[in-house]
Amino acid sequence: MMDRRSFVKKVLNGTIAGSLFLVWPMGGNSIETPEEIPGIKGKEYDIHHQEFAFIVDVTRCIGCGSCCVADKREYNVPDGNYRTWVERYVKGFSDKIYVDSPHGGLDGYQHARTDIDEEIRDTFFVPKLCNMCKEAPCVQVCPVGATFISPDGFVLVDEKRCVGCAYCIQACPYSVRFLNPVTKVAEKCTWCYHRIRKGLLPACVEVCPTGARKFGSMKDETSEVYKILKGPGVLTVLKKEMGTFPALYYKGARREVI
Amino acid sequence: MDLSYRMRLLIVVLSIGVLAGGGLLFKQLLLPDSFGDYGPYRADAITEAALVPIRHGTNTSCFKCHSHEAKIHKKGRHQTISCEFCHGTYADHAKDGKKIGTLPVKKEKEITTLCLRCHNTEIKARHEEVIKTVAMPNHLKDQNVKLTHNCNQCHQVHAPLKYIIRAKQITGLMEAGS
Repeated sequence: MMDRRSFVKKVLNGTIAGSLFLVWPMGGNSIETPEEIPGIKGKEYDIHHQEFAFIVDVTRCIGCGSCCVADKREYNVPDGNYRTWVERYVKGFSDKIYVDSPHGGLDGYQHARTDIDEEIRDTFFVPKLCNMCKEAPCVQVCPVGATFISPDGFVLVDEKRCVGCAYCIQACPYSVRFLNPVTKVAEKCTWCYHRIRKGLLPACVEVCPTGARKFGSMKDETSEVYKILKGPGVLTVLKKEMGTFPALYYKGARREVI
Repeated sequence: MDLSYRMRLLIVVLSIGVLAGGGLLFKQLLLPDSFGDYGPYRADAITEAALVPIRHGTNTSCFKCHSHEAKIHKKGRHQTISCEFCHGTYADHAKDGKKIGTLPVKKEKEITTLCLRCHNTEIKARHEEVIKTVAMPNHLKDQNVKLTHNCNQCHQVHAPLKYIIRAKQITGLMEAGS
């Protein structure tokens, strides 16, 4: 038998616990974004035993353009040139593809396209950046040895050696290179090499709100990119028939993406 | 006869030596220091590429000082968003843990424009499982607010559902109690 005092106590306990349950914030389905590449910071960087991979998840890209903004800010890229950009693909019911990229997606995409007459079947965003090819056409054509593949797999430009002949700009199948109007030398996305050497993620990966851009070490078996690349999912590279063997992979990219 | 043959041989050997030595010297003078350490390029260029100044920090670096914002930001749905995308780069604001400049604060319509960069339904590529989108101005009409309202008048920008959830809890409790 329960006396009045204990009954009131129990009811109050229950009410308080119940109301706490209501107020307690629910941990929604959040994406954990790591801020650093493990195993680099504070250690000596072994340039000969590194392998990195970049994965772009097309299905998660919302075209906000924060990657483009971060990229411009990180390098003070001159207006009109883009190290990375976001393309919008619109597919009509006649299977015609409309691609546009106003300001490289720097201002985001605020409005739908109005110049398409037919009904739209599908639309998606494709972020583009350097593919870091293992057989890089830009490296093959450079006449002065200013573009090279570093031992850790990065295609870099030696600003002091480059003569600005723009041969590499023509050779790149992905059009990621441009001639910097200020320094007059070829410039391209480096996957933020300076950040990686300090154990930080590339700026575009750092700011991506949806996790559409993923970066990590292939030597680290716990990294997300390792798990995705070794896993069963379908990944594609751009212009595979060119035989460039990119280290940039696309997840969920449709056949139309070039 | 014999002497002139030896002389000629000597001249040939010497000239080859001089040419080779001169060539090597010339190469040494022309090639940059670290050329060829890893391959046919300047190895120092890799070091130079690694020394480009970092301009973006991480959210953790912002939260070191802004603990109040950190508390709200980490709990909310906007936890995956980088501080620096909306506010500007770390390098413009702080150096060695000290403030060196003020970052611009977004105001009124700028906030709505910023929100709609991601949350606009008009762009069909935004899937429900990735992001919640709204159509403007229908969203304002549906919520019975003035069409001149900015997003931040109802939504806490760091944790967009903070006030909404709280308001629903209060009204929900009141409805149940009445």
